[in-house]
Amino acid sequence: MLKRACFTRVFARPLLLSAILGSGGCVSSAYIQNPIEIFLTNQQPGLALSTHEQLPHKSRDQVLYHLDKAVLLRMNGQLSDSNTELEAAKQISQKLDAVSLREQTAAVSVNDAMRSYLPPPFEQVMLYCFKMLNYLELNDLDGARVEALQLDVFLQQKYKEKEPAFARYLSGLVFEANGELSDALIAYRKAHQAYQAANTKIPQQLQADLLRLTEHQGLKDEHRKLSEAFKLDNWITQAELSKQGEIIAIAFSGLVPHKHETSIMAQDPGSGQLHRISIPFYEQRKPDVENLHLVSLNKRQTGELFANIDQQANASLNDQMPGIMGRAVARVAVKNKLSDNMSKENELLGVITNIAGFISEQADTRSWYTLPQEIIISRMPLAPGIHDIKVTFENSAGANVKARELNQVSLQQKQKLFFSWHLPASTVTSRKRNHANTSTSTTIIYRSR
Amino acid sequence: MNSKLTSAVTLASVLVVSGLLSACSTSVERMDTQEVVDLSGVWNDTDSRLVSEEMIADVLSRPWIGSFVGSEGHPPAVIVGEIRNLSHEHINVNTFVGDMERELINSGKVEFVASSTERGEIREERKDQELHARQDTANAMGQEIGADFMLKGTINSILDTEGKKQVRYYQIDLTLISMADNRKVWVGQKKIKKLVKQPGLRW
Repeated sequence: MLKRACFTRVFARPLLLSAILGSGGCVSSAYIQNPIEIFLTNQQPGLALSTHEQLPHKSRDQVLYHLDKAVLLRMNGQLSDSNTELEAAKQISQKLDAVSLREQTAAVSVNDAMRSYLPPPFEQVMLYCFKMLNYLELNDLDGARVEALQLDVFLQQKYKEKEPAFARYLSGLVFEANGELSDALIAYRKAHQAYQAANTKIPQQLQADLLRLTEHQGLKDEHRKLSEAFKLDNWITQAELSKQGEIIAIAFSGLVPHKHETSIMAQDPGSGQLHRISIPFYEQRKPDVENLHLVSLNKRQTGELFANIDQQANASLNDQMPGIMGRAVARVAVKNKLSDNMSKENELLGVITNIAGFISEQADTRSWYTLPQEIIISRMPLAPGIHDIKVTFENSAGANVKARELNQVSLQQKQKLFFSWHLPASTVTSRKRNHANTSTSTTIIYRSR
Repeated sequence: MNSKLTSAVTLASVLVVSGLLSACSTSVERMDTQEVVDLSGVWNDTDSRLVSEEMIADVLSRPWIGSFVGSEGHPPAVIVGEIRNLSHEHINVNTFVGDMERELINSGKVEFVASSTERGEIREERKDQELHARQDTANAMGQEIGADFMLKGTINSILDTEGKKQVRYYQIDLTLISMADNRKVWVGQKKIKKLVKQPGLRW
């Protein structure tokens, strides 16, 4: 017994201390900027794509591989290929929806990243949105409609409340482009309800769309109530809009914040056992582009913010946090019980097991990192004909930071033409754990017997 | 005894490993095209075949062909218009439309006119013939047959999902419209309903 205690003092404590210091070094490496992000920020999607394809990918991260590749392909103008990747990610996600006992066991005994990556609902919603948009830009309205219908089923299954408003709004645009105004109105209503439920600003464009369509459908009571609530002076009627075509521009600004790891580490003063719990948190980011303007010969239209993906990401992580914490605490118990048992056989083996368990405790920081942070939309009705349109993107100070030109755009009556741009440049404003709003807390109480 | 045991263990190991390896390799099995195999529950070749069989049987048994031949003295010429996919899935409608075309043409009761895309290509070829082919072999412009009827339709679906169970209902509506006076001379409908159960557990 005396011999054991002596061993612990001489060898075990320094080994355990090294483990703490070593694991600290591992965490800092997560802050190194991803090469794909550098190419994205420099607007080089082709290079980002080739880098992405060359990087090794684990089979349990195959959904992420397809999702990232899909965004890079659409940034590179390969919309059909992007849809192929999105469909692959969708199929895998549907299969991963079933629970794997093997992966759950690994998650409770090693770490959460041992499980196959199943995108959280907000990421899966964006998958449908990008597919819809790809089809819209390919002028395949029926294809976009299929995705809008599938998205509706997904939202009904996964969201009992607080639906993502942008997804509903985009579905409304798809139905409008197909000439199905009553379906569009239903989608816009749901988008309106979602903005209200999230307590966020309702875009004026959505207000105008609701007023236009309720009037067109002869829903006088609803139209009157909305008019009183919105107090919007200028909105185009459906009769006026039907004589024109429409340019719909969508900017995907910034990059969704990355997840990082924060750890609570403790050492049992009696046994010297190490305990560690690691949980993920989101950094904070600010996109360079905050708005867009469409300028034609005699018209100017300003965009509006329709979605904050970072808010959805944080809300999703908060929803998952009780499960993450529960599994982390369970892992502490499993790992320390194992090292206790090992110590009874061999002291050194016990220490090594404890160190291995300590180091393997890592937060699952995987996420769809090529998603944008913000989504800005601008709709500009124009007379049928050929148009040259300038698109300018401005930062929060109102200064133009980028511009694009849409030359010789041929627009027909009632036609809706969709254009989108990814502007991933953004700045990380905080990587501190304390900004993350996590209400769950835990206390490690563990004693070896 | 020990050596016998070792041999048995070795043999068992070889069998297990070879079994695992064979499970990992790609296998291909030829199947009858009439055989029904439902893997995921989405629209597949069986649905497409069922639709074309039902529609062909229906369209050929209705009086519109006899009435037309009686009044005009020649088989009706039909063109395929838009078949809109309004369902929850990306469905390739060309498969059952192609089946229908083949069966109707082979029945000898109906003639089909090439679609607008196909016509464009053929017209280009005819122009080319005028310039480059021998005069006695070149086909003249302006000799095309105008369609008497246009086949149009939609595919609709309704999904009812609860947990891991889903009822998928498809309704395919095809309509034959007279080009002369917009009369609908035939309306065909096929309904398909499936119950799909997703697994709750995986390996």
